[in-house]
Amino acid sequence: MVLPFMALFATFFLYPIASGLYYSFFDWNATSRARFVGFDNYQHIVASRDFHDAMINLATYVSITVPLGITVAFSLALLVDSFKGVWANFFRAAYFLPVVLPAFLAATIWRWIYAPNFGLLNMILGWMGVPSISFLNNTGTMLYALIAVDVWVSAGFNMVIILAGLKNIPTHYYEAARLDGATNLQQVIYITIPMLYPVLFFVVTYGFISALQVFDIPWLLTGSSFAAYGGRQRALLFPVMDMMGRGFGGLHFGQASAYGFILTLVIVLITAGLFAFGRRRFTQ
Amino acid sequence: MSGASVANIEPTAAPSGSFVRGPALSVWTILKWAIAFCAVIVAVFPIWWMVNVVFAHPGEPVSINPRLYPTSLTAGFEKIRMILAETDYLRAYYVSLAYSLLTIAGVLLIGSMAAFEFALFEFPGKRLMFAVVMVSLMVPTAVTIVPTYLLTAKLGWLNTMQGLVVPGLASAFGLFMLIQFMRTLPREMLEAARLDGATHFQLYLHFALPLSRNALVTLAILTFMRTWGNFAWPLIVAPNPEMYTVGQVVGLFNSPYSHQTVDVVMTANLLAALPPLIFFLIFQRKIVEGIAMSGSKG
Repeated sequence: MVLPFMALFATFFLYPIASGLYYSFFDWNATSRARFVGFDNYQHIVASRDFHDAMINLATYVSITVPLGITVAFSLALLVDSFKGVWANFFRAAYFLPVVLPAFLAATIWRWIYAPNFGLLNMILGWMGVPSISFLNNTGTMLYALIAVDVWVSAGFNMVIILAGLKNIPTHYYEAARLDGATNLQQVIYITIPMLYPVLFFVVTYGFISALQVFDIPWLLTGSSFAAYGGRQRALLFPVMDMMGRGFGGLHFGQASAYGFILTLVIVLITAGLFAFGRRRFTQ
Repeated sequence: MSGASVANIEPTAAPSGSFVRGPALSVWTILKWAIAFCAVIVAVFPIWWMVNVVFAHPGEPVSINPRLYPTSLTAGFEKIRMILAETDYLRAYYVSLAYSLLTIAGVLLIGSMAAFEFALFEFPGKRLMFAVVMVSLMVPTAVTIVPTYLLTAKLGWLNTMQGLVVPGLASAFGLFMLIQFMRTLPREMLEAARLDGATHFQLYLHFALPLSRNALVTLAILTFMRTWGNFAWPLIVAPNPEMYTVGQVVGLFNSPYSHQTVDVVMTANLLAALPPLIFFLIFQRKIVEGIAMSGSKG
């Protein structure tokens, strides 16, 4: 009875990877005959302006959103954990609510919050006498506007995972620390964080892997389509958007396939780096 | 809430920490409650704001109605009626529902059959297959999405329900979750049933499936959330307006060249949020446990 699963898995997972690798060496627009071009697709991508911009955006985005998102999630988890009974459940449910919404909705709701003049955020700023800012059309604010949405969406998800880890820490560790006169902050640094290490490691790794493939939210925040994507001056252009644009906008399916492999290489390298770093810390 | 009850709820803040001054309301406790409620506002208000825009008179300017609470229920229902009657939203709703339900049914059926074999029996090639499926959990979607699209197109499945559903059925995550669960099933019961002459298929149907009910329900809910919220796959594989999902329609309504008013857009947003929100209210515990489990086991 493993047959249906394995057959579908081979057809829609293994075969696409193999065929993608094959296509990545061809110049092919889905209608004409494919032409073998060797590593040209790879070269062409790496040398392109869009790839360069997308990678810079990605580096800035990932290096802010992952640490910030996890710090917020960790703080929320500690906060919820310090309450008991009904209030703990209430706060947990409230913080988790944004996770329940589809990501596309988070983006569209926040698009209206960021709207110039009548958007919620500009309305509040208006009360304080700040002139209207076009958050999603100003290259100085676009990336930070995205990060805010991203943290809003992902904090609850990570919080729930961290909370489950907090419940597994034996309470007598804290009791012993308190007897030794440790403050709340010291307890967090010397007990909670070391004990949570495996959970935090998972959350960080998973956070990196998903942030490196960010697509839905910047795509919708910038009102992108396959004809025009990335927002003003491509300030919110990210690699997966670039890849999809090359495939479905430019019909360069060979390039799009190659792009997937380049991106995978980046993700694998970063994940491997995290694992190497993580193991060293763990064995110390 | 009174000061006394606040102090009662938080007995662990009483130790020798430097913030705390006796059992009365401490600065730390007030601060903690204030932060907790501010975070609630940040988390919930955008969603609440959406509700307020829908349940207000159309075109009412923000300056008159700062939209902290709904002002007109009838106006809201009228907008919902209008959007269902005058746009193609209802059709998109059907497509999204069918896409989600068929995916759930397929993932549960195919996944549980495979998990049953993997968790409870030995067969040739088991280790290798399991290893390959587990490695696939770490392969980014970015590398498969374009070639999977090309395969789907070659099969002639663009703009069809099978094109949306079938490529997503072999869920490695779902299989992993079900295997973990089925490994804990009592093997004595399995042996006893087999001695009583139960066939392989009967063991699956009458033993493994009913006992895995909890894991199956959790997987169904998580699959629903993921499918209902899937934006990228429908965007490329079903570009025909006849097959638009809710996500695509919402995306189009919100695009810069859309001619829809904020009322219509927010109503579309609200209706798209409704099924997952209802699911969350009913299955909160299961959803949270499912996500926490995927974290601790990964």
